Amino acid sequence: MRVAERIKHDGGTAAKAAKAPSAPAAVVPPRKRRGVNREGLEAGRRSTRTLLWVLLAAAMVLYGFPFLYLLFTSFKTPIDTIAVPPTILPREWTLENYTSALGRNGVLASFINSIQTAVISTVLSLVLAVPAAYGITRYKTLSGRIFIMAALVTRMVPPVAIGIPLASMMGSVGLSDTPIALSIAHTTISLPLSIWLMSSFFEAVPKDLEEAATVDGCSRLGALWRVVIPVVSGGIAVTAIFAFLASWNEFLFALLMTAIRSQTTPVVIANFQTQFGLDWGSMTALAAVYSIPVILLTLLLQRKIVAGMTLGAVKG
Amino acid sequence: MRISDRRFALYLMAPAALFLAVFVAFPLFRLITDSFFKISPIAGGPRDFVGLDNYINAFASEAFTGAGWRTLAYTLIVVTLEFALGLGMALLFTMLGRSSQIWRTVFMYPLMIAPIVAGLLWKFLMIDNFGLIGTVLHQAGILDNPNQIGWLSDPDIVLYSVAIPDIWLTTSFMCLVLFAGLQNIPGDLIEAARLDGARAPALLFRIILPLLRPVIAVALVVRGIDAARAFDTILIQTNGGPQSASETMSLLIYRTMIRFGDPGLASAMGTIYLLAMLAVAFVAVATIWRPGKDN
Repeated sequence: MRVAERIKHDGGTAAKAAKAPSAPAAVVPPRKRRGVNREGLEAGRRSTRTLLWVLLAAAMVLYGFPFLYLLFTSFKTPIDTIAVPPTILPREWTLENYTSALGRNGVLASFINSIQTAVISTVLSLVLAVPAAYGITRYKTLSGRIFIMAALVTRMVPPVAIGIPLASMMGSVGLSDTPIALSIAHTTISLPLSIWLMSSFFEAVPKDLEEAATVDGCSRLGALWRVVIPVVSGGIAVTAIFAFLASWNEFLFALLMTAIRSQTTPVVIANFQTQFGLDWGSMTALAAVYSIPVILLTLLLQRKIVAGMTLGAVKG
Repeated sequence: MRISDRRFALYLMAPAALFLAVFVAFPLFRLITDSFFKISPIAGGPRDFVGLDNYINAFASEAFTGAGWRTLAYTLIVVTLEFALGLGMALLFTMLGRSSQIWRTVFMYPLMIAPIVAGLLWKFLMIDNFGLIGTVLHQAGILDNPNQIGWLSDPDIVLYSVAIPDIWLTTSFMCLVLFAGLQNIPGDLIEAARLDGARAPALLFRIILPLLRPVIAVALVVRGIDAARAFDTILIQTNGGPQSASETMSLLIYRTMIRFGDPGLASAMGTIYLLAMLAVAFVAVATIWRPGKDN
């Protein structure tokens, strides 16, 4: 438990680092400790380091290969995708799979649905989670403690258990097969996570900050809005990324709750299998188009994402 | 008039609490009530109260108990391998220090990929006839012919094969969390142990792992719960087959509900599944997290 608390405490530094983009990478501990650690676990001998680099290179190749193979396959001709024996690189590079996948009925619409659903769900999560997390961390009431436990328990609920009742509920209020209904379902996943993340970010804000604001005549709500929110804007960005990703990549709710009108791309990708036989070429092309934006997002915002990932894991 | 702090906090939490009550608690309530009824899959069809019949049928069915064991086995496979690989990578990154930072970022990329895409990707690598893995192993002289191992078609090994995408997707997560934990181990502690003549294995098992224990516990629980709910990757790879050999609980409930059209039975299975998950979660929360506790 002690170490967990120390990490939790370090989560505070991570939160602060996330606020200031210029700060060093979030999970890297304060400078002093890093120096100590270099003498600790960091390998010093040249031969050992070379060996470690070789190991790392092997691991990276193995780990990176599957996605590269998906990319290469997407540029093959349809016949080459299922050639026996398979080749790694395309014999002939072509965009055929991309044009056929994107030109297919409903594919572009599914992209718009995915974006719409993920944006609505992200906004909804933030609007609900930010005040709730603030209420929990700042006032430490019994109800707050019970609430955050309840939110944690929600994380354990298997989506398959609530998907069907949720779908029929949406149907009875006339929302079946709409991006709104699906984004509400996705928010049941991202809201507990957002509350947890935001709680740790608020935890890192010194209490004097809004006390000073209230003394200056700000109302509590005003202090939250004008003083605290700007300070945790980095944390809000992290939370938004996570909420967005949770919705963007979600499949089960999308499968249960959408038909034609509001289908998201993961469902379309899965449907390629049955609807059109085994069209591997188009499937890989669509999968690549769907994944690359979020992979680039990771590389661009990696520091923020690492901060959120570690906080999310350590806290909930 | 100024309201009390306690009330103010309550107002701040109310919208989120209301949302979770309506969209999580209420569907759960519906699930539990449905589990006591025999329900026709046709909308507006008959709905008869049958008491605990659905529960009795669930426990009596081999599909259900089988799926239960498979879910447990799947979870253990995924979490164990992921932990071993994640720890290895975290140690590797730590030993290389700051210079490996860029690779740490690259290593994270599978986390952003949709599980459905990961499942598809690995299915493509392992599929019979034109799967690359069989071919490579054949060309390397390990297999006599590329189809010697039916990764996704042999009931004896399919549960391991379907676990691969899940492991590939989230080893990065395990690595990230353990890496963060490793950075918090004081370097002088390692130094002291080294001066006392501790070798690498002793260092790992006597010092590093015990110190990481809380982080490890949290990471294992978080991932364990996710793995026990796995659906997307298995559905797209095998749809639970062959001969239900990769049918885990989520898939069984889904099929009972949608394909076999028995919402009552599916609800009973869902309720049992949920209770099992909550029991595990509760123990985990009570012993590890203790959220909201003041330091």
